[in-house]
Amino acid sequence: MDFELNPEQGALLDAAETLLSRSAGTARAEQLVALYDAGEQSADGYDHDLERALNDAGFTGVALVDGMGPLEATLLTSAVARQAGCVSFGANAIVAAQLLGRTIDGPVALADTALPGPVRFAAQAVCLLVADGEQLRIIEAPATDLVDVDSNFGYPMATLPAELLAAGDIVEGVSAHRMRALWQLAASAEAVGCMQAALSFTIEYLKNRRQFGRSIASFQAVQHRLANCAVMVESARWLCAETAAHNAPAEAAAATATHTMEAATLLFDDTHQLSGAIGFTTEHALHHWTMRLQTLKLELGGAGAHALSLARLRWTDAEG
Amino acid sequence: MEFAWSKDDQEFRKDLVAFLESELPDDWQEISREGPGSDAQAEFSLGFCAALAERGWLTPHWPTEYGGNAAPSWSHAVLGEELWSRGEPRGPQYMNVNWIGPTIMEHGSDEQKALHLPAISEGRVLWCQGFSEPEAGSDLVALRTSAIADGDDYIINGSKIWTSYANHADYCFLLVRSDPESSRHHGLSVILLPMDSEGIEIREIPSVVGKRYFHELFFTDVRVPRSCLLGEEGEGWKVVSYSLQYERVGAPRYARATVTLDRLAELARQKGLLDDPTVAEKLGRARAACEAARVLSYRVIDQRAHGLPPSADTNVARIAGTRVDKLVGDLALELTGSSGLEAGTFANANFKLAMTAGVAVGATEVQLNLVASRMLGLPRE
Ligand SMILES: Cc1cc2nc3c(=O)[nH]c(=O)nc-3n(C[C@H](O)[C@H](O)[C@H](O)COP(=O)(O)OP(=O)(O)OC[C@H]3O[C@@H](n4cnc5c(N)ncnc54)[C@H](O)[C@@H]3O)c2cc1C
Repeated sequence: MDFELNPEQGALLDAAETLLSRSAGTARAEQLVALYDAGEQSADGYDHDLERALNDAGFTGVALVDGMGPLEATLLTSAVARQAGCVSFGANAIVAAQLLGRTIDGPVALADTALPGPVRFAAQAVCLLVADGEQLRIIEAPATDLVDVDSNFGYPMATLPAELLAAGDIVEGVSAHRMRALWQLAASAEAVGCMQAALSFTIEYLKNRRQFGRSIASFQAVQHRLANCAVMVESARWLCAETAAHNAPAEAAAATATHTMEAATLLFDDTHQLSGAIGFTTEHALHHWTMRLQTLKLELGGAGAHALSLARLRWTDAEG
Repeated sequence: MEFAWSKDDQEFRKDLVAFLESELPDDWQEISREGPGSDAQAEFSLGFCAALAERGWLTPHWPTEYGGNAAPSWSHAVLGEELWSRGEPRGPQYMNVNWIGPTIMEHGSDEQKALHLPAISEGRVLWCQGFSEPEAGSDLVALRTSAIADGDDYIINGSKIWTSYANHADYCFLLVRSDPESSRHHGLSVILLPMDSEGIEIREIPSVVGKRYFHELFFTDVRVPRSCLLGEEGEGWKVVSYSLQYERVGAPRYARATVTLDRLAELARQKGLLDDPTVAEKLGRARAACEAARVLSYRVIDQRAHGLPPSADTNVARIAGTRVDKLVGDLALELTGSSGLEAGTFANANFKLAMTAGVAVGATEVQLNLVASRMLGLPRE
């Protein structure tokens, strides 16, 4: 056991954070949305430049490098989310890398045929990985005429037609359950990054926001709420790391996702509640992380579905 | 004790529901899609409220001299329930009838009553509320916007923030500091400000919850006659305290949550999920919370009907009401899945409404402080 980063991991994260502070961040996220809303040609809400930079620097394929693995990919997924990067990094660096043994040169979308409704990055994806009952399907270069739904939950998303999902090639030797476990990990890692950033942003804001002649953060009732949030974020963060280090065993992945998505509910509610009205405006950065949490929370059926699969995996021997 | 609706109230509800069924257009959901601050909803509210007013249903609980029917407070509760649960087709005008009108009735001059009350009870005027400022949110009495007497006029300078409906308002119920030397609750006044006065600038603050939700108002040497002052100069806090008691329980959030929940249950039934115990349990718990919020709200209306002074029960009801909004808003997303992330969908609208519930009209934490001090008698921190 060792909860400290080794020198290689430290260097990797430092390098990624340098890149992200240059190429991502909330100002960049704001700009992407503005271009997208303005109907700018080629602006599809996805940060293709950031993705290219992450690919070129070797971050996307980190899990396939000797001496590295899904843990490093997971730590990087959280780092990208902290900087509000609008890319499918986790789906690529964690899910695709482990399932296919390679990464994809472009956006990746994850779907489950049992869960209808819009899917993150479906219209941008050059590769769809689809859990279809027991089977995993892959669709490379899918039809590009999908239209995003009108939504402001942090990611472009579109509804995938059933015919398209059914058209994919079955990936032999890999079960859909394995894909769901990796997806649980990837979504959790991203949520962890969003929660960390939302919490530290809120704490900074409340330290400076004065009402009743004092900083709002000085009220004990407020401090307990923030401390509670920190407890949930820390538990999600370490569950994620441990699960990743073990390469996402089904039960651990389900536990991680259950707890992380519960944490996400608390973080969304409390960071918004404690920020007051300004937190609902797009002039305050909080929404860049919190609105995404709602999207992540609903993937794979949400915390309730994660908990049910955990209970089945733990106490009955079904496949989750 | 008696927990039944009177015959009159039952009759009234029946007539009202029949009216709403025939009067609310089929595309009402579409009209209200962009939220309460939209042009479409503001325009609709003028026609709709005039139709309500024609039947004496906009302000039934007001005294007859001000355009009401002197009906008991309970009829107002029936109205609130039926309208709020249909997405509040009165738009911003619910504020007029809930607390702006009553405050003018209590503190206004004869001239002000004659100018404002008929317009409100006939449904032909839109108001906004100018209380909050960038540095005065939860701590409202930190406000700094000033109105300084100058001969027969007041000159207003400063800014207000978060003002809903400012873009369509004819008047602003404006809380200002009239004594520049004063602080906190002292030296405040209320101005009934015509929004077409010179020197007012309005800026929309873009939000994630909907278009035209929030505005910032800037006042530069806005000159209004002294006749716009409501109540005594320097007595603004007394006036506003009166308003807030009406405002805080104003919107029967439980009514909308209850109807939303029924719709969610129907949706679950269609998907074959109502037999799923995990789904049924959540619906059941939420339903119970709605019932609790309802009965707490009734408790406050009853106090008003008995002419009792305002109490912390108002805060209790308010907290319970925002809780059910949140509960049901979350459940809406949970049950509809990612389809609910699409703008304009039923789940999305309810989720967004619930998002701000604990902050709008005073943060829940401030309400909890009031319950702690006024109801429980706890010492201050
Ligand atoms: C949808 C919406 C519509 C609105 N419409 C209007 C309008 O039309 N007109 C108008 O004047 N205003 C309006 N407001 C503003 C509203 O009244 C304020 O947002 C509210 O009073 C809180 O102030 P604030 O946002 O500045 O938060 P702050 O005062 O900065 O407080 C932030 C948070 O800190 C916490 N907090 C504050 N004080 C304490 C304490 N003592 N103890 C513990 N915790 C505390 C609370 O969680 C609070 O939410 C609206 C707000 C919303 C969200």
